[in-house]
This record gives sequence, structure tokens and C-alpha cells, in this order.
Amino acid sequence: MADETRKPLLDRAAALVAGPLLLGREALGLVFRPDREAPPETPPEAVPLRIPITPPEHAIKRRG
Amino acid sequence: MKTRLPEHGPLETPRFWRTLEERIETPEAQRAAHDEFLPGTIPAGPDYDDVHGLPPQSGVSRRDFLGLVSAAAALAATVACDRKGQGTVVPYTKRPVEVIPGVANYYASATHEGRRVYPVLVKTREGRPIHLTGNDEHPGVKGKTSPRVMADVLRLYDPDRLRAPKAQGHVASWADAEAQFHGALRGAKAAGKPVLLISGAVVSPSRKALLADLKTALPTLEHLAYEPAAGDAAEVAALASFGQAVDLQPRLDKAKVILSLGADFLNGEDPEAQAAWGAKRRLKNAQEAINRLWVLEGPLTLTGTNADQRVPVSPSRLGAVAFALAKELAAKGVALPTGTDLSGMSAGAPADIPAAVWSSLVKDLRAAGRNAVVLCGAQMPAEAHQAAHLLNAMLGSEAVALRAAEPLATVKDLEAAAQKMASGAYAAVLFWDVNPAYTYPKAAAWKEAVTKVPFRAWIGQVEDETSAQCQLLLPENHWLESWGDYATPGAAVLQQPAIGALYDTRQGEDILLGVLKAMGATVPDGYHAYLQARWKKELPFGTSFEQALHDGLVKGETKTSAPVFKGASVAAAAKKAVAAKADGLELVLFPGFATHDGRHANNSWLQETPDPITKMTWDNPVAVSVQDAKALGLEEGDWVTLALDGATLKLPAVIQPGQAPGVLALALGYGRTTGGVAKGMGVNAFPLVGLDPASAHARGGAKLAKAGGRKELSRTQSHHRMEGRDLVRSLTMDEFAHNPQGHHHMPELVTLYEDQKFPDHKWGMVIDLAACTGCSACMVACQSENNVATVGPEQVARGREMHWIRIDRYYEGELENPKVVHQPMLCQHCDNAPCENVCPVNATNHSPEGLNQMAYNRCVGTRYCANNCPYKVRRFNFLEYTAYKTEPETLAYNPEVTVRPRGVMEKCSFCVQRINDVKIRAKGDGRAILDGEITTACMAGCPSDAIVFGDLKDPKSKVSQLVAASRAYRVLEELGVKPAITYLADLKNPAMPMASTEGGHHEA
Repeated sequence: MADETRKPLLDRAAALVAGPLLLGREALGLVFRPDREAPPETPPEAVPLRIPITPPEHAIKRRG
Repeated sequence: MKTRLPEHGPLETPRFWRTLEERIETPEAQRAAHDEFLPGTIPAGPDYDDVHGLPPQSGVSRRDFLGLVSAAAALAATVACDRKGQGTVVPYTKRPVEVIPGVANYYASATHEGRRVYPVLVKTREGRPIHLTGNDEHPGVKGKTSPRVMADVLRLYDPDRLRAPKAQGHVASWADAEAQFHGALRGAKAAGKPVLLISGAVVSPSRKALLADLKTALPTLEHLAYEPAAGDAAEVAALASFGQAVDLQPRLDKAKVILSLGADFLNGEDPEAQAAWGAKRRLKNAQEAINRLWVLEGPLTLTGTNADQRVPVSPSRLGAVAFALAKELAAKGVALPTGTDLSGMSAGAPADIPAAVWSSLVKDLRAAGRNAVVLCGAQMPAEAHQAAHLLNAMLGSEAVALRAAEPLATVKDLEAAAQKMASGAYAAVLFWDVNPAYTYPKAAAWKEAVTKVPFRAWIGQVEDETSAQCQLLLPENHWLESWGDYATPGAAVLQQPAIGALYDTRQGEDILLGVLKAMGATVPDGYHAYLQARWKKELPFGTSFEQALHDGLVKGETKTSAPVFKGASVAAAAKKAVAAKADGLELVLFPGFATHDGRHANNSWLQETPDPITKMTWDNPVAVSVQDAKALGLEEGDWVTLALDGATLKLPAVIQPGQAPGVLALALGYGRTTGGVAKGMGVNAFPLVGLDPASAHARGGAKLAKAGGRKELSRTQSHHRMEGRDLVRSLTMDEFAHNPQGHHHMPELVTLYEDQKFPDHKWGMVIDLAACTGCSACMVACQSENNVATVGPEQVARGREMHWIRIDRYYEGELENPKVVHQPMLCQHCDNAPCENVCPVNATNHSPEGLNQMAYNRCVGTRYCANNCPYKVRRFNFLEYTAYKTEPETLAYNPEVTVRPRGVMEKCSFCVQRINDVKIRAKGDGRAILDGEITTACMAGCPSDAIVFGDLKDPKSKVSQLVAASRAYRVLEELGVKPAITYLADLKNPAMPMASTEGGHHEA
């Protein structure tokens, strides 16, 4: 049975073309984005992403 | 859901019920019982099932959508071909000596909460502490600890921790901070002006020695040890009864009859008491000796839910009732201590207690004699404590150990300190691990007084209400990064760090050593050296400090003289108790199960663990008795105003079956104004604490009124219901002796399928409901072991909590004083698991060892399995609860358990990682797995040893033997799903015939 609720052919064609086009433009923008301008002042000291873990000094382990 | 209390009880009441709605049998409750997920659990949105027509589809059609997706996927794949952002896994270039990747290290250590010491064993992985249990070497705790201590590993990784000193609101170096700190203290010393130090309880001998050294170096130092939730009345009563502060430890292994006057010793805080309780309740047959627990209390406590005989009595009447008991026992020939005068008491049963119950209680206590003990709740009025001390002295109770303790400051002492601060007498004040700006009842006056002190310093971990008033903030190590020691009955305990300090923080004692040095004293370099020097002097011959650290303790009893009861204190207390009368409603303010006095409020594991009684999470509503709720026309969740002594709080109310009429109960520790997790959760109840230390936490004259509107409660008690099926069993001792299976008859199970074969092992579990107190230690242990996510109050309200094990709390009998049974419920690992059959992708399947296991990366989130699980134990990740977490939060994860993302179903795995760990070790040693060698996290965490895990294929294993016990049953056995978990029916040992069951007298 024909789907009567379907949109006209032109609308569908437009959506099929416009969708990938817009997504593609967004993707290219991500890949070739212009470099950010240098900050006006000295950048803050980089915070390490990982917290350094050190073993406890003088502690005696039970087992392991 | 509406909960209107009935004018008359329903004609037929179910034997067990979990919520008021179930008890009243509202249509909403009946509907809810049939719904798999709570309304709102599943997101509302378009009905994707309705593909055939109405209303007509609008927007993008399926064909267009697929076209778009294909094109977008092709483009995305092209763009994703980029090496940016890739990490590299690098092994240790210099491996720390102690750390072997993939192998856990264990350290013995210890911590304390108030006066209670918890010796612990810390499990670390790759240098990170990830799991805590009790120290198995300690003669008291025997490998057990409290839920709050287990959860405290999360506080180590609290992102809100202060990571460097702060001076005048700015990050400073330790050198600058110390220069300022030492300068202020030297100035105070030179001027001869007093310096105030407020800390928590001092239970460490070395900390005590350090404070004494500090007092010598700084003679103007005044020290207050303040524990806002410890119960000032207990301190007042101890001073009156013994002339000194005492620490009271129940010895329930020696108790045949226990009388609790509002004491909640089974709430998980005291692993020693719970272990002894469990040992007396895990009966193999009815001929074994069982104890009897009498509870007289206002609010329903966890101990009250475990009572054999419970009588609701308001707190103001407890003292009079207990003194009347002493008079009655004296009349029956039990000797009174010298100097005791009870002439002011009238003889006979008080009006609060039915005569038959009274005579039975008197008879029980008298018969048990030295094996009887009377315990009083910390929040109860001082007279009740004094009466308990008198009764124990009369009975010569061996079931309680009294030790001299360091005195604690009461609210009165704080009031005096505030007045002195306001007068400008102090040159400096130092707050160390305390938060009086939050816990002092008159916070505004306190804050005003503090500003009058010229120099204010703070030592702590997370900035709080008190630190906001201080110029100098000195960040402190977590106890897992610190050294220390404790004196406990049976052993001297050592605390050692299990990890190096994560941040630029120092141990509080090291900061004070720095002060000593600045004052010119000669002190060792660091608290470790200070501690070692003290210990080396006191260690028994042949024991090295290193050995003591390895074990975490040195066994041996310190000889101290037991405090002597002063009979002369009784007359005044008895007179006061008889005269005590509460106007209006009585309010009991108790430490929150999750938050205690607020110190744990920033811990999401604890906030989300349901309160064992109200089953509330993330909030502290006021609990109202059924009778008062009826009188006020209150329904569950109604907003109310609670007014007392000029302080008014607006908060939601819950209706609590079993609570004495005229009594309100409210948890402390909520309503914090700082902390990423704690802020804004619940209301701060400290403004309602009284300034009379004799009854600071049990107060009369409260007024409650409806405020209009209702709050949606984040409460779990109505979640995962099982439609009133016969899930929980409770026996009286007579029933246990004569007919343990009762009317339950197992139907013959017929199946067309062949029985499964388990070639090597068949893992199974037994849970003894008689030993389970409902303390929720298993829940916290499981959360820590299995990386169970927390979801927050809004999600809990929608029924989306993630706990793999829950405690179902069932009431039995009448609303006004029901009996209660707790039932831990977790995946039953059914042999014929209904969840496995319906999984379209075989993500949940059966192992050859009987485990119902999950392949997370195969799960597509259809939730069919949860729909088909008769036990409601499967949990779905409706949202992304874990992926956005970063360090330090992720450091708490157990690397042996997968962290589950959104869209994945999860559930109890019987701690398969622990099973495999033992299997690998046994294989390496070339031996068989020993019975009891594998412990699931819940089993290891259970302080009353109610959970036993093992191999059902081994007929000699403990679990196999328990499965054959006469109390054994399986939940919903008639479904034929063959669960691997067996429950042992709860036991009650009532002195009187129970209201709802036929029972008789069984000697305690």
C-alpha cells in the first residue's frame, strides 16, 4: 500500500543532499579549524591530568 | 502516591508489608505492584511501537532518516581517520618496589569515629586504596567494620579536597602558611593570651601525648574535644554516675537478656556487638541457647526492628521506667549499690508498660542476673543513662565493659567558649577536624563570636562552614595517608598510611609538631618518628615496630581499674526522671545513618544507601508516628514546619510505623552549605539541638504543622516490590522447635528440561535472616567492590538506583508497633534463570559453575531480562553515570570490575573476580579451593556473619550444610527457577505470645 503520508519527492531530495552537505561542512570545520590566538598573558601552569600516586613511606604491607 | 491512613484497619491484612500503601491496600499500590518499572523510570516520549498509523507519522520518514545516517556515517568515518588524541599505555619505567601491576597489596591500618576505633585492612591496587574491611587479626572486630568506614575510602578521592594551604583566601606555600601560623601562636604566648584548640575526640595515646607536649610548650592553650553527635547526655550521666568520662562497650557474647533504652547498638556502628549478636542468633536447632532483646524506645531504631519484645515509650519517660525497674528488682531481692536511694519512686508497673509485659521483663532480668545488660541510647536523657548504669550495677552485668575515657566537651562547654571568644579573650583559635559553625545549635551567635578572635586557623580536608571564617586553611591528609595509634580493649592498634599524600597536604599531628618546633621544643622529625619513638619504648619484648605495623596491632589487655558506680547519684536523677514531662511533641535528634554528624555528607555512596528504617536517600525528613500523622492529617512527603525554641525548619514528613505517639525523629548531618555532593541535601537539624547537655538531643515542646504541598521523596522502600508474595519468613522459637516450615509446602517441580550439570563447582549462598540486622554494610561493601554507580536523588525517586544488593524491610502486624524482618535481596543466580531465556543477544547466560553472568559489551539494553526477573534485582544504566568521571574520582575504582556505561544492564556477579582470584591462586599452589576461602564482598562486609558463600557441590562445605537446615527456604521456589541463594528464616524469641502469631515462652 502506498504511504500517503510521505513527503513530496523534491523535499526528500533536498533533505538527502542538504543533510550530508551540512554535516560535511561541520566536519571540515573541525579538521581545518583556524589556530586559536595566543592568550594575552602568560598561560597558567599546566595542571597534570593524572594525579601522581606514590607508595606510602615506611609502611609495611600485610600481603600482596 | 497518596497515603491516607485508615480510620479503621482493613478487613484482611497481609502478614508482611513493606509500605503504608501496601498495608492500607490503596489502588495505587496495587497498580504499582504490577508495573515492572516505576512511573517515570522509563523516559516518556514518542511511542515507537506505534508504526502502523495513528497519529500519522510526521517529520523525517524512516527511509530519509536511513539515507541521512548512511551519508553522515561515511563522512564521520572519513573525519575520524585521525591520530589526534590517542593515548599511549606506558609501563612503569621505575616500578615502585611495593607495587606489582595486577596484584593487590594489603595494609593494616585504623581509623576512628568519635570514641569508636576501627582497625581495618586496606586493599590497594597499583598503589590506590580501593576497598576496606576490618582487621581480621583484631580480637574484637575480627575482620569486620562499619558501613561508614567502608565508604570512607571514597573520601580519599573526594574532588572537593583542599589541595594546598590557603591564606586569606589565596593559595599559599606551606612555608608562608606556617610562618603566619607560628607567628600568631608565638605572639599569643608572648602576650600570655589564651589560644583555643577545638578537635574531635582524642582516642589516640600518641595524639594525647602530643597535645600534652603542645600544652607544655604553649601554656595558654585550651583544648576542647567536641563530638556533636556523640550524645552529651551520656557524658553528663557518666560524670554523675562514675565521676569520670567512660567508654561503654557491650559484651553481647555474655548476654542472655538485653534491655535497650533507645540504644541502637545494632545499627552497624559497632561491629563487635553485631558479631556477638549474630553468633547468638545463627541457630542450627531450637535447643541451642538464644538471647532475648527487649527494646523500650520512642523512634523505631534498627535495634528496635530486631527486638524480640518492643514497647514504644517516649524518651522523657525512659528514665522513670528504668528507675521503676530498679525499684521492682530491688523489691524482689536484687541488692542496690551502696548509697542508692529510690524512695522517691512509686512501686509497681509504670503506666507506659502493660502489666504483663512488665512482670515478664522483671522476671527475665532477674533470672539472667550477671548475663543481663541494660544499654541506653546516646541521645536519650541523662536520667535514662544513669538508670541504665544503676541497673547494670545491680545486676552485676558481665555483658558490658566500662573503661575510663578522655572527656568530651558538651554543648555547654562550647557555649562557654563562644562567650569567651565574643569577649575577645582569645588571641587565636584552631579548628581541627571539627565544624562548629555548622554543628553548634546557635550557629549565628557562634560565627559572630569567632570573628572576635584575631587569628583563626583551620585544619581539615574539605572546606566547610567553619573554614569560611578562618584566615588560614591548612589542608590535612586523609587517614589513609596518615600515621596514628589507638588503644582498644584487647589490643593496641597502629594506623599507617596505605598511600603517599595525593596532594600538598600534611597530617594534622605533623602541623602541630611544626608548632612545637617553632616554640623551641626538641621534637622528632615528623609524626612517624614521634610515634615510632613512643611505641619502641612500650612494645613487648620480642615484638618489632615493623611486625606491629604488619599486623596493625599488638595484642594485650591494658590493665585499667573499672570505674565504680556511685549510688549517691541516683536519688536526684530518679527525682528528675519522675518529674520529667514533655510539653507538646518530643523530638529525638540522632546521627544520620549516612552522614553521622555531617562529616560524611559529601560521600555519595553513603548518601545513596537507603536509611535502614525509613529507606530514604539523600534527605532527612522528619519521622512522625502513625497516630500523630492521623491527628495532623499528614500524608507521606507532606511539607511540614517543625518549630522548637525559636528555630523553625521546613522539611518533608514521613510516617513511621512503630514510632511512639508524640515522638518525632530527625537525622542530623544534612543541610550542609558546602561540598559538591552534600550541599543542599536535606535540612540542618543542629539548630534544634538543646543547650542543656542533659537532654540536648531528646527535647520536648516541638511543634509540627502542615506547610502545604508535598515533596517527591527519594525513597526506595516501595521500589522493586514483589506483589505480596511469600518472600520472607519469620519464626518464633516455638515454631522453630515444632514446625519450622510452617504452612509452607514445597510443590513438586516438574520440568521438561534436563538438569544442568556443574562439572567442578556450583557456587551458592545462604543468608540467615535471624542474624541479619539490616545494617546495610553489605550494600556499601558491594558498592565499593563492584564499582556500583551512584545516580543522585532525582534518579532514585524514579526508581533508578543501581545497588546490586538491597535490604528489603518487611513489617508484620499492626501499624502502631509492627515486627520487622530485614531481607537482603540480590541476584539469586537461578539455574533456570528466566532472565537468560529472554535476552535476544545472549548477554546474560549461565556459567558452568552456576553463575548467572553478564557480558556487558554484548548487552543492547532491551531490559527484557529485568522484566522477566521475579526478584527485581537487575539494574539498568538509564543514563551515563560513569564515563564523565575523571581523577581523583576514578581512582576509587576496582580495576577487576568493568565500569558499566549507559544502556547496559548489570547485577550481582557473586563477585566473580574474587572467585577467579582464588581459583588462580589455588591453581598456582597446585591445590583445591578451600571452603570459606572465597568471600564475596557482602559476606566479608557483614558484621553479623549472616551471609555464607561456598561450593554447593562440596557436601562438607558450610554452605551445603546450611542449605539443609530446618529453617532453610528459597524465595519463590515454586516458580521452579532453582535459585542458588537459600534463606534461613528469621527468629524471634518473644517472652510473651506475639500478637499476630501463635508463640510461647522460650527461655532466653
